[in-house]
Amino acid sequence: MRVDPTYLSSLTTSLDQTQSSLQQLTSELSSGVRVTSLSTDPVASGQNVLLLNQMQQDDSFTQSSSLVKGQLQVADSALGSVVSQLTQVITLATSANNGTMNSSNVKSISSQIAGILGEITTLANTSYQGQYIFAGGQTSTAPFSTSTATSPAVTTYSGDENINYLQMPNGGKIQLNVPGDQIFQGSGSNSVFAALNSLVADYASGAVNTTQAVADTNAVSTALNYVSQQRVTIDNSITHLTSATDAVASEQTQLTAAQTTLMQADYASVSTQLTLAETQQTALESVIAQLGSTSNSLFSKI
Amino acid sequence: MGTISSALNMMSQTLDADQSALNIVANNVANANTPGYTKETPTWQENDPILIKGTLVGDGATQTGAESQRDRVLLERLDQQQQLASASGSRLTALDSIQALFTPDSGSTSSTAGDIGSDITGFFKSFSSLEADPTDSSLRTSVLSSASTLANDVSSAAKSLNEQRSGLDQDAIGVVSQVNALTGAIAQLNTQIQSISPNADAGTLEDQRQLDLSQLSQLIGINQVSTENNGLSITTTSGQLLVSNGSNYQITSGSVSGVTHFFVGSADATAQLASGGGSLGGDLTARDTDIPNTLASLDQLAYSITTKTNAQNNAGTDANGATGAAVTSSTTGAWTLDIFSPPPTLVANTASGDTDVSGCAAAMSAVMTDPDLVTAASLGQGTGDNSNAIAMASLASQTIVNGQTPTNFYSNFVSTLGSTVSNVQTENTAQTASVTQLQTQSNALSSVNLNDEAAALTTMERSYQAASQMFAILNTVMASVLNLGEQATVT
Repeated sequence: MRVDPTYLSSLTTSLDQTQSSLQQLTSELSSGVRVTSLSTDPVASGQNVLLLNQMQQDDSFTQSSSLVKGQLQVADSALGSVVSQLTQVITLATSANNGTMNSSNVKSISSQIAGILGEITTLANTSYQGQYIFAGGQTSTAPFSTSTATSPAVTTYSGDENINYLQMPNGGKIQLNVPGDQIFQGSGSNSVFAALNSLVADYASGAVNTTQAVADTNAVSTALNYVSQQRVTIDNSITHLTSATDAVASEQTQLTAAQTTLMQADYASVSTQLTLAETQQTALESVIAQLGSTSNSLFSKI
Repeated sequence: MGTISSALNMMSQTLDADQSALNIVANNVANANTPGYTKETPTWQENDPILIKGTLVGDGATQTGAESQRDRVLLERLDQQQQLASASGSRLTALDSIQALFTPDSGSTSSTAGDIGSDITGFFKSFSSLEADPTDSSLRTSVLSSASTLANDVSSAAKSLNEQRSGLDQDAIGVVSQVNALTGAIAQLNTQIQSISPNADAGTLEDQRQLDLSQLSQLIGINQVSTENNGLSITTTSGQLLVSNGSNYQITSGSVSGVTHFFVGSADATAQLASGGGSLGGDLTARDTDIPNTLASLDQLAYSITTKTNAQNNAGTDANGATGAAVTSSTTGAWTLDIFSPPPTLVANTASGDTDVSGCAAAMSAVMTDPDLVTAASLGQGTGDNSNAIAMASLASQTIVNGQTPTNFYSNFVSTLGSTVSNVQTENTAQTASVTQLQTQSNALSSVNLNDEAAALTTMERSYQAASQMFAILNTVMASVLNLGEQATVT
């Protein structure tokens, strides 16, 4: 039988291979990453790109949602204040309308309502991080201004009807704003500013035209209800956003788990393989030592 | 009947023959580690018997020389397999450095740098973030910084690929000059072998020729044809003549549109050499197939992202209220609100109707520096509008690159590249294993086995001792004969 006399060098090649697999296993253990190059697992590498993409989108949504949540909450609390200010206007107007007040008291009510009107204008011009939140898309200029040139005074809206949305990773949209004129200048008797300006004018002279004043007071309560309705849109967005954030967070947890399973090393199996490779290396080394010893040569016997 | 003197003569011949055989054994031991050396065994021949008075009398043996233990078929088989293995080996080396440019992102934040997949996501993600507050200048700045990260990573990957390509070009030129040197050496050996040993194995010269052949097989794919008088012709696997007996034909190189091509005679043999095998074949396959394929995907990705995002950004209103407008009528020209530099002038491929996008990846760069020029608002809307930012972000989920979303395209691209590398790895492992097997078979036959030599040495030594002893005995017998019974005249 013929044998390859250079068997020692092929054993050395095996030893090299064992060492390189030891190196690979050790680096898997230390980095915790299983797929260190595309060829280790081409399919997993491709999947990994998609999973990471989704995870990062979720991550971005979580960050955005905390930003817009602040803005929505500011809008909500501004509208809350508007509602309570309007309630106060109705109380004042009702007391002025009952005919028991003298002219100077009525005048003072007029100026109180004018003050409240100013306050509501300020609320309608609320800004968040320098942007006017009730201005539609024209967020750089204050949307509401009141001109007192005429009586009753006229409040004008300089914003637009633009509505912004935040897109969710699943494609759905969340409304981020309600244009100011929709809230404060609803059509007909739904306009807050029109009703308030009329009331101020009604009481300005000190003499109350009760019929007109009562009608205008009623207009304020209609407008109040209308503002509350618009506020619901904002509240809905906040609720929607909270639940979407939760859903995205749990999706992200699942994706991270999937990505970890896909790409990370399985410590138990890597350790086992490492032990096997170590055993093999020791075995190879002692075989080489045995066979390589000169006493194995026939020359040493003759 | 034979005589004592003829017996003495036979023994002296035997001593000569044993010495010569011992010399062969010594030569084997001396060359045990010489590359290409083939084990030699002494050949013995029985001398013609002599017919004396009707009886055949043996006349000893002669050592007729050494015979190299060589199996030409096995060696040729080994060479062929070696050509395949070194082709896949050098291609694998090239592919390994290609795939190192696209190392998978493990997902931890520290390793995201340089990963184009994450860059694509990051770029479109920056628009999603901008939806939340379209006028925020830090969000706008992050759009630009993610754009320049994406552009830098894509273009540096493309540049590295181009560098690897010219590296392979240089490698191939180096390999070809080695091939030329080897074919020259083989042609010279052919001449010597044909004049010295036209009819039999040429021993050491043949060893040299086989060694050159096996070196040649690592470099290039060849066919060997034995010719008359122990000569050898070598052609490339596609049939171009490299060596014909005593003459060799050089492979020359020349530049054809910026790429080195190789010629045998006047024929351009580059494509045949690429598929032929050897490390030259592997280098050329990587240079002419693998790298161009990878670059083409990157070019397509860069082209689509550049043109689509530029077009969308120009379709909106920026933070200053300005809208984008084309300054040239050509689709490839610059617009006023370009995020990326417009792709280099493209040549429409009239045959396929496709646009040739080559060079787009290397040329990709982010040109926008003013974050206010990012258009978050739609045309005609106030600066607080975010609908163009939504449109930009949603490009990520549209099929804008060859009918796929950018992320899916990149995902497929890495899978394909990974599979190619993995296939070549498997191929190379199998071929290397087969080379090892053939090498083992060939070694078993042709290598010097020191144990065998020790055994042969002992046998020859014994035979030599026996012949000497025989000589001494015959000498005593001869003395007795000369003395014819007298005491001690001759001892």
